[in-house]
Amino acid sequence: MSRYSSKAGRPLHDVVAFRIVSGGEQESNTRNRLVVVGVAWLIATVLGWWAVTAYDWHPFGASREARITDEAFDLLMLMAVPIATFVLVVIGYSLLRDRDRGQDVDGPPIRTNRTFVVGWLAVTTILSIVVIITPGFSGLDELRAYPEPDLVIDVKGERWSWEYTYAESGVQTRGTLMVPIDTRIMFRISSTDVIHSFWIPAFRIKMDAVPGIITTTMVTAEKLGTFESADELRVQCAELCGVGHARMWTGVSVVTEAEFDAWLEASAG
Amino acid sequence: MNIVRGLIGGAVGYILGAALLMTIRVATGARAWEVESVSAGAWMFALIGWLLAVGVWRYWAREWFGLELVPYTTTGWRRYLDFDTDHKVIGIQYLVKFLTMFFMAGLFAMLMRYELMDNGEALLDSGRYNAIMSLHGTMMVFVAVAATVGAFGNFVVPIMIGADDMAFPRLNALSFWLIPPVLIALTVSFVSGGYDTGWTGYAPLSVESDVGGLFFNLAFFTLGLSSIIGALNIIVTVVTMRAKGMNWMRLPIFVWSIFVTSILSLIFTQFIALAMLMVVLDRTAGMVFFDPASGGDPLLYQHIFWFYSHPAVYIMILPAFGITLEIISHFSRKPLFGYKWAVGGLLGIMGMSMFVWAHHMFTSGMAEALRKPFLASTELISIPTGMIFLSAVGTLWLGKIRLELPMLFALAVLFNFLIGGITGVFLADVPVDIQLQDTYFVVAHLHYVVLGGGIFGLFAAIYYWFPKMTGRMMNDRLGKIHFWWMMVGFNVTFLPMFIVGLQGMNRRVADYTPDLVGTNRVISMAGFFLGTSFVVFLYNFIYSWIKGAKAPANPWGARTLEWQVPSPPPHENFEVPPIILADPYGYGEPDSDHADLGIGTLPKIQETVEA
Ligand SMILES: [Cu+2]
Ligand SMILES: [Cu+2]
Repeated sequence: MSRYSSKAGRPLHDVVAFRIVSGGEQESNTRNRLVVVGVAWLIATVLGWWAVTAYDWHPFGASREARITDEAFDLLMLMAVPIATFVLVVIGYSLLRDRDRGQDVDGPPIRTNRTFVVGWLAVTTILSIVVIITPGFSGLDELRAYPEPDLVIDVKGERWSWEYTYAESGVQTRGTLMVPIDTRIMFRISSTDVIHSFWIPAFRIKMDAVPGIITTTMVTAEKLGTFESADELRVQCAELCGVGHARMWTGVSVVTEAEFDAWLEASAG
Repeated sequence: MNIVRGLIGGAVGYILGAALLMTIRVATGARAWEVESVSAGAWMFALIGWLLAVGVWRYWAREWFGLELVPYTTTGWRRYLDFDTDHKVIGIQYLVKFLTMFFMAGLFAMLMRYELMDNGEALLDSGRYNAIMSLHGTMMVFVAVAATVGAFGNFVVPIMIGADDMAFPRLNALSFWLIPPVLIALTVSFVSGGYDTGWTGYAPLSVESDVGGLFFNLAFFTLGLSSIIGALNIIVTVVTMRAKGMNWMRLPIFVWSIFVTSILSLIFTQFIALAMLMVVLDRTAGMVFFDPASGGDPLLYQHIFWFYSHPAVYIMILPAFGITLEIISHFSRKPLFGYKWAVGGLLGIMGMSMFVWAHHMFTSGMAEALRKPFLASTELISIPTGMIFLSAVGTLWLGKIRLELPMLFALAVLFNFLIGGITGVFLADVPVDIQLQDTYFVVAHLHYVVLGGGIFGLFAAIYYWFPKMTGRMMNDRLGKIHFWWMMVGFNVTFLPMFIVGLQGMNRRVADYTPDLVGTNRVISMAGFFLGTSFVVFLYNFIYSWIKGAKAPANPWGARTLEWQVPSPPPHENFEVPPIILADPYGYGEPDSDHADLGIGTLPKIQETVEA
């Protein structure tokens, strides 16, 4: 048989013609390969880390929750880089070095390799557990850390608008959502028709508005701003609810406590 | 003709069913005609009428009544339009049907990307956009769930295990002929105004949607029926029809992947059928499963829906893993590395996929206490998934790699799924998911998994087995053009979607904030580029089928059984049942032989003699 080709068949009993190398030569050969792969992996990982930290992944964030969420994302990114570069470097190395260049031979009959398998399983298991603990559980615990609200706002989703009721004062609005800075706020969310989702991108909070039940989510705003200054400061419906879904949004304004009180008083009067 | 007969049978079934239901309605004092209630019930009668007329009666059901069966005399290309029971014919029927559906759904994607080139509404208003988006998602999910299993599970699995056909050939034909009604239901749905719920069809929105929504429910229900029957058939086939000596640890990894996929299908598809049925009953019979005003619960729908639809992700991706590992071994000329670990990975994914569904519901308002367990179970599923990569990486290492077309697609599956899998880890992290749920980050992630993994796997399988199926080679140069075109188009389309998602673009919208216009233009342009790559494929596919170079029995020099019989294989696959001597991955092992095909039947030996 000549070089394999799309036109020719191949005998079932393949000619075994991979190069038999002596034990010593094979060992040093393997060591060389591993060194090259290791160095390439290190370089790729460092470059990857540099790239993912240099790039700003996050839009404008204006809350305590935004910090927690963005940190979790960044941490995951740092963990993802060495995994991705490892897989890509090993595969890339094989594709460069281990090609059949017309020899028409088989590779060595390696069925498995204990060290590699055990190492791989150990690393993936440990990484999975680490990811679960942090940023997974730790981030969730942080989000739940302050369950006592200073201010409660009832949010009602209705095709295709939002209605906000400030619980203590009874002030109601369908316009911009006004929230005071540095105040623990609880949103009590409900719907009168289908499922909507109460999402404020700048706050990194999202919770569905489900007919029949009241769901809650909490936030502490940390930066002043309005929709006009950053369009992430909006309440956006995030669960498909019909034709008006994309337009089911209102602005959000984060104001000082004094401004908020003044606004509340003016609205109540 | 057969299909016309089937359509008439379906219409007759619909009329009979409608008459029956209207009689019952009148008897119970209701208005006789109400389109939804009558259609929902009559659909079941229409299905039966269609099946009977399309061939079940002539070739099967007559014997239930002591009548002579009509002898099957169809030959040539007409067999592909008939109720044929040859698994190879059915495999090709599935392939063509689902490729058609894939290209239709792809055209809808092009429309969506045209609309999204600018913020504001240009070509489509929100209502039309939602209808097209919903249909795109639904059809693509159907393709991803059923195309690879239907086409290659049918065509190659029986040959790979040394069988002459599936365990239940007539049931096999029946499960295929349930697919055209799926397409009919979707067409009826679209023509009657479509539905605006997305493929997820969340209640109560789906209960309230127009009549198009009902036909979406019926389409999904019918596809489910077909999947369950098909899965059962594959499971029984693999369990009972393996050739002598083909023990479980000698099965080709692709067979393993289809087997595991079928188990998932068999166990979980009933739940999507149930979810659809409950919505239909809410719509038509005034039941209130999901109506909170009457004590129903909207979250119930999501639990049942995702109880199927998460495992469905693995129904879409496991066959692609199987084909990827299969190809990587044959095209690296090395034994599949860590075969047992790869099988373990498939089984591990199967087992764990039952315990992760609520990761789609972190922001749904379900009990807070459920977040941690589902976060944990979801992150843990990366361990068995890692075993698939372990096997792939280990096989490539020190191989004698041949970058033929199927191999390119297999490597692309690894690359794309690496991105899809890693972003899945991000989405399983609840704090991050709270922000990213329902944004384009999810859209990008799911396309990396389903299109980048599942559909690239489907194309790997097409390029790999096309010579076996058609007896002709696909044009290599056009294939390579298609590969690079599709690969570049895919990544340039979907990588920026992660970015717009992170920047706060929510999914399923025809309109978005102005700061995202630039990136969306890039995505749309790349999307059109990706779309046009399939023109090359389609030309190559059709041209090669008709006029391609004749394919030898084993163009790739692969060791599995299907390559040891002529291309295309004869009706009975093997002249005598093969005897399996070892697994098919003995590359580089002196004296290793996968199978004894019986004296005189080895096409290889003949070729060697000729040479
Ligand atoms: Cu909405
Ligand atoms: Cu899932």
